[in-house]
Amino acid sequence: MSDDPAQAIWQAAQARLRWKRRLLPLIGALALLLLWWALVAFFQVKPFIAPAPQVVAITLWQKADILFANLIPTAIEALSGFLIGNAVAIAIATLFVHRKTIEMAFFPIVVLINSIPVVAKAPILVLLLGNGLAPKIAIAAVICFFPTLVNMVRGLEAVSPQALELMHVLSASKWEVFRRLRLPTSIPYLFSALKIAASTAVVGAIVGEWIGSQEGIGALIIQATYNFDSALLYATVITGSVFSVGFFLTIRMLERLCVRWVPGQQS
Amino acid sequence: MSERAAVTALDNVSFELEQGGFLTLLGPSGCGKSTLLRVVADIIAPAQGEVRVLGQSADAARRQRDIGFVFQDATLLPWRTALDNVRLPLEIGGGVRSGRSPEDLLRLVGLGGWEKSFPHELSGGMRQRVSIARALLGDPKILLMDEPFGALDEITRDRLNDELLHIWRETGTTILFVTHSIHEAAYLGQSVMVLAARPGRVREIVKVDLPEPRTLAMRDTADFAALAGRLRRILETC
Repeated sequence: MSDDPAQAIWQAAQARLRWKRRLLPLIGALALLLLWWALVAFFQVKPFIAPAPQVVAITLWQKADILFANLIPTAIEALSGFLIGNAVAIAIATLFVHRKTIEMAFFPIVVLINSIPVVAKAPILVLLLGNGLAPKIAIAAVICFFPTLVNMVRGLEAVSPQALELMHVLSASKWEVFRRLRLPTSIPYLFSALKIAASTAVVGAIVGEWIGSQEGIGALIIQATYNFDSALLYATVITGSVFSVGFFLTIRMLERLCVRWVPGQQS
Repeated sequence: MSERAAVTALDNVSFELEQGGFLTLLGPSGCGKSTLLRVVADIIAPAQGEVRVLGQSADAARRQRDIGFVFQDATLLPWRTALDNVRLPLEIGGGVRSGRSPEDLLRLVGLGGWEKSFPHELSGGMRQRVSIARALLGDPKILLMDEPFGALDEITRDRLNDELLHIWRETGTTILFVTHSIHEAAYLGQSVMVLAARPGRVREIVKVDLPEPRTLAMRDTADFAALAGRLRRILETC
């Protein structure tokens, strides 16, 4: 391959580009951390207003046990809510696709509710559901439910008219049309909803904990804020974010395992 | 099974399709060519009257897998390999009776060695070949083709026309082929049925007297030009 000098030059350029793509974000992050440190040091920012980055790092290390103990309930709430909310959404999407009357009656309302921001929905649910672990799971579930329902209905209906005609010529039953055509068509749509749901489930659990909770990432955020413990606040936010990103990346990995064809490029 | 299969569709459209024959349907857009195919395949129910295919109702013919359908787009399932797309009819609606294996059919359409490729890895012409193989699974008595090569470039189209004639001779199936290309209609069909628009009705059935087997060189002959000219004149009066 690299006998050709032009080819060798091109390959070297590609290799450099790959390294740039890996290194530049790292350099960018380091530069921002340095700027953060410099700003706090130069303006002598009080520790209860904003901590220096190295203080946050130390807090992350020293209070790892507290942070982890508070991550557990939040993670349980987010994961349970994620599973319940998405399972119910998939079931209702299936019902909608097979019972058009029900879909026509309720789908516009679902789309409307879906457009309300998560942080606006959550307090309403806290009022409705009260305290304890279960209400937080319910909030995370409800928050996951709407984007998945909307996307799943679109996915199940994204079959081409000709593919439906093909199924008809083959005398396929409703179940076969669902199993062999609609469900596989909807999988890429489902995963784009699950990726949204993975982060909103965590947001739902945290917002749920803000109001009347003794433990969890949300409770710790409120506690640290009231105590002007900015280092703990930042460390808590980082802990929650790392979990959220990990959750998102897990779903994306599952997506890459499940969706091996090129979606959208049909026929 | 009778020697001739009678097909009635589009209210007043009635025509005979010789078993093992190749009939092309030619007409301007909006003349109901595609609708006619869909009525025969029992995809659309006629508003009035009755459809008889092979001496039985269109519904019964469809359930017995007497009919294979090739669409304008290949309509392959993108998450299935070429071979799994051809296999689809085996997994649906009680499977098929008999006939060639999916592997055999892929070889017949010239795609031996491409079994494991996904649709997005195939060219438009190759995708349409896969869909022809799928339609042939289970040995249907009639193959309905709805402008299957309409979206392809002319070179690919010519090659696929030749291969379709080869497949037709090889399988002995009856083909009803819709097109809006005069040359394609004349080159492929033993007869060309010209449809008139609004309302869709049979204008004329023209017997094609070209020697068998057809070759692309035949298109340059005076006979072929005369035939194409005659079809064009019929279409102009539609």
